[in-house]
Amino acid sequence: MSGKKLFFILFLCVILTSCQNTHKEEQKASIRIGISLYRGDDTFINNICSVVEEKAKEYERENGIKVILDIQDAKGNQNTQNNQVERFISLDCDVLCINPVDRMDASVIIDRAMTAEVPVVFFNRQPVEEDMNRWDRLYYIGVDAKETAVFQGKMIVDLYQKRPEAVDRNGDGVVSYVILEGETSHQDSLIRTEWSIQTLKNGGVPIEKIAGGIANWERSQASALMEQWIHAYPDTIELVVSNNDDMALGAIDALERAGIDGMNVVGIDGTTPGLEALENGKLLGTVSANKEIYGSAIMELAASCALEKELPEEYPLENGTYYWTPQEILIHED
Amino acid sequence: MIGRRGKWLLFLYVLFLVVLFLMCSTDLIIREPEREIYQIAVIIEDVRGDNYGNFRKGMEQAAAELNADVHFITLYEQSDVRQQLELMEREKQDGADALIVVPVDERQMAEKQMGIPVIFLHSGRTESTGSGSIVIDYKKMGEELAQEMSKGLEKSSPVLILTDPQKQNSADRYFLDGAETVLMSGGYSVQKIPKDEEGGFGALVQLPETEQEERPVLLAQNTEILTAMAGILSESPEAAKRVRGLYGRGSTLSVLNYLDRGQITGICVTDEFSIGYFSVSAAVRALEGDVVQNPVIMDSYYIEKEDVREPDYEKMLFPIE
Repeated sequence: MSGKKLFFILFLCVILTSCQNTHKEEQKASIRIGISLYRGDDTFINNICSVVEEKAKEYERENGIKVILDIQDAKGNQNTQNNQVERFISLDCDVLCINPVDRMDASVIIDRAMTAEVPVVFFNRQPVEEDMNRWDRLYYIGVDAKETAVFQGKMIVDLYQKRPEAVDRNGDGVVSYVILEGETSHQDSLIRTEWSIQTLKNGGVPIEKIAGGIANWERSQASALMEQWIHAYPDTIELVVSNNDDMALGAIDALERAGIDGMNVVGIDGTTPGLEALENGKLLGTVSANKEIYGSAIMELAASCALEKELPEEYPLENGTYYWTPQEILIHED
Repeated sequence: MIGRRGKWLLFLYVLFLVVLFLMCSTDLIIREPEREIYQIAVIIEDVRGDNYGNFRKGMEQAAAELNADVHFITLYEQSDVRQQLELMEREKQDGADALIVVPVDERQMAEKQMGIPVIFLHSGRTESTGSGSIVIDYKKMGEELAQEMSKGLEKSSPVLILTDPQKQNSADRYFLDGAETVLMSGGYSVQKIPKDEEGGFGALVQLPETEQEERPVLLAQNTEILTAMAGILSESPEAAKRVRGLYGRGSTLSVLNYLDRGQITGICVTDEFSIGYFSVSAAVRALEGDVVQNPVIMDSYYIEKEDVREPDYEKMLFPIE
């Protein structure tokens, strides 16, 4: 090969490589995020979604990059959610933010996302580890369920240590409690139940379980269960431990109907109605994930994935995949 | 060795495979009809889309049926005309084929020439503007609500209108104008109560105890105020006893729940699902060159607790997508 030919080929290579680099450096003017919610009527999810919408607007203003959010409600149906993911991909979404209906069945979503090379940020309902390990562009944002539960238990332990009569209302030396649990298929439900009670035991609160039931995170179901328990165990229940605020509010509804005042009810999530109940003293306490940080983390992570940028430092990922939102105890002060 | 016939067969076989490949993988032979997806941007006058739940459902239903890709945009600042105009321009530049706009200022928006179809959702203007318009006559809605409120209401009961002068859009103004006209002409004492410094209506919780026929009736300017006031009345049964009723407009889930629980006495609503659906279908028709009937005027309905479960209202208030 002559020197001229060699020089020509090298020149072409340089041109082609530089073209490729220019293409990579080109900044996107807009990003499109497909968001699918397991149920649009879940108060906590709604709160988070509102924060994400706010943060998207802030991001747009600060970075000059247009953010299009496609928000869909899967209405508790995994097939609907799979179809929504299909639609997001066909609409060229740059990233998907999925709150899975069935956390055990995220593989279809992951398959489709991997085929289309669209990264996925799961939130609130954690897919199983085997699924999360399938691709390095899958992320999860949530709260540490054990920490939540320990905080919830600690609220009661602290109160018991300060004023035992406020918890053991009938003074018999035993705190009789009922527990309202979320869906059995949700990872947080099992952990919250186990560690809340464990923390009470570890903290030296003498407890006795009167009843427990699954109210699927729903206020109306919790209210019906609580009503049954009030009739079945009159003047016995002293404490209501609930896996979330909506169910705690359901229990409060039932207590109000029965004319029972001053019973200790604790929830989790710090939803807007939960915080209102806390303020007016109906709810003793709740554990709140910092929703500003939760929503920001979803938005920032999604934007970084869409723009193929480094993930922001303020949201450190555990094992490069999981981000745990900080939480705080909120308690009603007399 | 392959004979002459064998070579021909092999050639035909390869040719067959090539034709099959071309048929299946490309549109060289069988051309699939191209389905154009219309990009439609919906720009509302508010910073939050909370009150647009049923509207969005209707919009999404139409988008799925009519091959449109619709995205919903809220303002950064409440009722900012300049920003709404900028967003309209931005969406056009970003490739939107049509716009659906809930204008902050109806007059300024109507004068704006966009060069693409624009469907306006007006709250009072009935002349045709843009490529089509859907009119929700809030003045008429206010009049209807005031007429229903005044049924059986003694003249001694004052009407307190709960307002937020800092956040008043054209729908709020038309609505209050209609209601006030009817109430004043009916000889009622009407008093406007603006939001206090803490953003609420704390003074109403401490209303003095009065006789039944002298208790005030509350009328909320918009859905946010109606929801907030209903929340106050549900938290304070004492305050609830001192008012004769709470009225307003809107059909969000919170409003319907309060109506169902009796904290809200009556509301005026429109068929928001249909408005969402009509607006997208009008935009698509305008894009396809059809003449859009101008303007489409939406009816409003007065409902109380007992009406919520009536099949016609139930379908309208809780639409299934």
